[in-house]
Amino acid sequence: MQQKKGYVSFVLHAHLPFIHHPESDDYLEETWLFEAISETYIPLLLNFQKLVEEKVDFRITMSMTPPLLSMLDNKLLQRKYIKYLKRLIELSEKEIKRTAGDEKLNSLSKYYYERYSNDLHIFKDVYNCNIIQGFKHFQDLGVLEIITCGATHGYFPILYVNEKTVKAQIAVGVQTYEKYFGRKPRGIWLPECGYVPEADKYLKEFGIEYIITETHGILYADPTPLYGTFAPIVSPEGVVAFGRDLESSRQVWSSINGYPGDFNYREFYRDIGYEADYDYIKPYIAHNGVRVHTGIKYYRITGKTEFKDYYNIQWAKDSAEKQAGHFLDSRNAQIENLSNYMENPPIILCPYDAELYGHWWYEGPYWLYILFKKIYYDDCNFKLITPSEYIDKYPEMQVCSPCRSSWGANGYSEVWLNPTNDYVHRHLHVAGDRMCELAYLFPNAKGLKKKALNQCARELLLAQSSDWLFIITNGTMVDYAKKRIKDHIGRFTKLYYQIKNDKIDEEFLKDISKKDCIFPDIDYMLYY
Amino acid sequence: MPRKTKDSENKEIEVKNIKAKRGSKSTTAKETASTEKLAKTKSKKKSTSVASKTKTATTKKTSSTKKVSASKKGTEKEPKVAKSKKTTTVKKSNVKKKTTAKKTSTKKIDIVEYYDLPYRYNQTIVKVLAQTPTSLFIYWDISDEDRENYKKNYGENFFETTKPVLKIYNETMNYEFEIEINDFANSWYLHVNDSKCNYKIELGRRPINLQNKIPVDYIYISSSNKIESPNDKILINKLEHMVYFRNVKTQTTTSKSIANLSFMRNMGKIYNIYDLYKKIYKDEDIEEINNPSSRFF
Repeated sequence: MQQKKGYVSFVLHAHLPFIHHPESDDYLEETWLFEAISETYIPLLLNFQKLVEEKVDFRITMSMTPPLLSMLDNKLLQRKYIKYLKRLIELSEKEIKRTAGDEKLNSLSKYYYERYSNDLHIFKDVYNCNIIQGFKHFQDLGVLEIITCGATHGYFPILYVNEKTVKAQIAVGVQTYEKYFGRKPRGIWLPECGYVPEADKYLKEFGIEYIITETHGILYADPTPLYGTFAPIVSPEGVVAFGRDLESSRQVWSSINGYPGDFNYREFYRDIGYEADYDYIKPYIAHNGVRVHTGIKYYRITGKTEFKDYYNIQWAKDSAEKQAGHFLDSRNAQIENLSNYMENPPIILCPYDAELYGHWWYEGPYWLYILFKKIYYDDCNFKLITPSEYIDKYPEMQVCSPCRSSWGANGYSEVWLNPTNDYVHRHLHVAGDRMCELAYLFPNAKGLKKKALNQCARELLLAQSSDWLFIITNGTMVDYAKKRIKDHIGRFTKLYYQIKNDKIDEEFLKDISKKDCIFPDIDYMLYY
Repeated sequence: MPRKTKDSENKEIEVKNIKAKRGSKSTTAKETASTEKLAKTKSKKKSTSVASKTKTATTKKTSSTKKVSASKKGTEKEPKVAKSKKTTTVKKSNVKKKTTAKKTSTKKIDIVEYYDLPYRYNQTIVKVLAQTPTSLFIYWDISDEDRENYKKNYGENFFETTKPVLKIYNETMNYEFEIEINDFANSWYLHVNDSKCNYKIELGRRPINLQNKIPVDYIYISSSNKIESPNDKILINKLEHMVYFRNVKTQTTTSKSIANLSFMRNMGKIYNIYDLYKKIYKDEDIEEINNPSSRFF
């Protein structure tokens, strides 16, 4: 075995915006959660379990955002997920019959039937419908470190015009984490990696030790960090910052030779939801008859061609294993080189969206599993580590102010502030100011007024989700995102006047409290 | 994201598709597969290209052409919420024969909600945000009350005889400049030359014609919040001889001379690594390095 000269730290950011519509079954956006559970969260849990059973010593870090936790904990959404799975199981049963004449297709249909049946078993029987327990289990075992995020993924570089709104994002993020994991988070995933130094004091106030930044959050820090992104830095206020490594990110993300583009991997865009006979598939697509993804996909990427080959599970696994080997070799070389120039062993930080693994890159969770096994068993000069463990081992670090940055295109705020979505910001700012005004006017309210004030805080937080701005920039599902902004600002504004005029409409408050039921324990005095 | 072509024509088409889609009205469906995919994978790239195209100009007006006039029409209204209360009232009959009155049944209240964003908040305000290290986004409004006061002080035609300007103060480098805006806009993107500087914006007005009745050549209206524009380069030249290290467990700080510890040599090697990356990846779109986020949408 080689001497260990450095560390690799995987950080998966698991996030979905809060989508909860008790009023209707027609919101397809709710299926984002269901797809993520089946394709990403359960596969990750299953692979962690396999690693633990095989006694592989591994480390991984995940941020689980408060909206995601709230949805995973929501009874209605849990029931809807079971319904979603049952429909998929029914469809894959039908598929087994339909594809009886084609051996290859038929075996894939059976694979989906088994997979979705197993999801149902895992979800209901193993985790009692709440997979947060699963993640908590691995955190308690010490192989997974879970960190928190801003309450609703509000983008700090826009919100900090009113610092109390940033403080509330952090406070509620920490409180939600404590509720589900029974301890305080040591780290936070800044929403969109959006860093502003103004947030540091609040991060410290709520006990956050470290943040993750984009590469130039470190490289453009002041003064220049001696070790680039290969060692954390500490801000003057005392927040430790780890920066994303370029080379390893690239290997996973590159459009040209990134791992997920392997020709043996499953083709995301060929789904029977779009391809099967309309009358046959109709019960399994959108209520309004629009074709959507079902999750049953039979083809592999094959190549730069429209003529796709059937997916072959074994071939896909072979590719994942080959690529895991490549990743391991690359990190070995990188660390070998770097360790010559550093006092402490280098840390290579690899942050990704969790949903890349499994949802977009179907084989991603398996790739991680193989990679972690290789790191443990193969000849390798590094170990896996969590940021917290690195801080504990090497607490001395250079004092630098990280650079204001994000992980969006071009590294600053263009994704969340551009001519397509800039009309939103004044509303977010005014609502933030008004929330503080309400807290100031009606401190320590009781009864109905308190309920209304707390609901105001929920509406404000939901309006602040960076997701709506992102979707508007992105160009798909725009109407939904715009509606969400209007709804939350609208509900907030209506309540704001009702509270100020002392005319709270109880039925209205009840109705929106049911819809926007995130953060049941929130205290509006955060804005005081 | 993987699995995408780099064909710039495709990009153009995609942008068109997206534009076309924006007009469409499906709030629920995930829509068609292919365009959605492209949009997902390239979304962030697209957004910036929109913004950066216009970056060459010193100033650029936002798409917003809503007129901020002195009229009171546009002030904020409380959002409307329609309520339909479905109740069947008790049928009371005077006829004695009908002794069994129907039971009152109150159906659950359905609250039908529809909201529009308030057009404006009727407050005098200037706010600035940094979009990039060298582009600032500024929005503003003047309350009806303040408008009336200006008219009282400077004449009924105050807003017709003056033009709005923004004064940009760079407090770090201690200089200021001014740009003329117009009353058809309520926000503006502004190019600034210096990253990593503190900026403050002031909204004011200047008489269009000095011969008119307004006795001063500048009328202050409001000031913005202060911001620092982000840094956009490695500050290696700013490095002092001493750097500071802190032990985050014990909070002890030590200074180290980078000359003594051959840090500079090693640091050069580390930063050469980044140069090397740039060379390796020079054929690829550099944006992708900063664009790892995928998402469901």
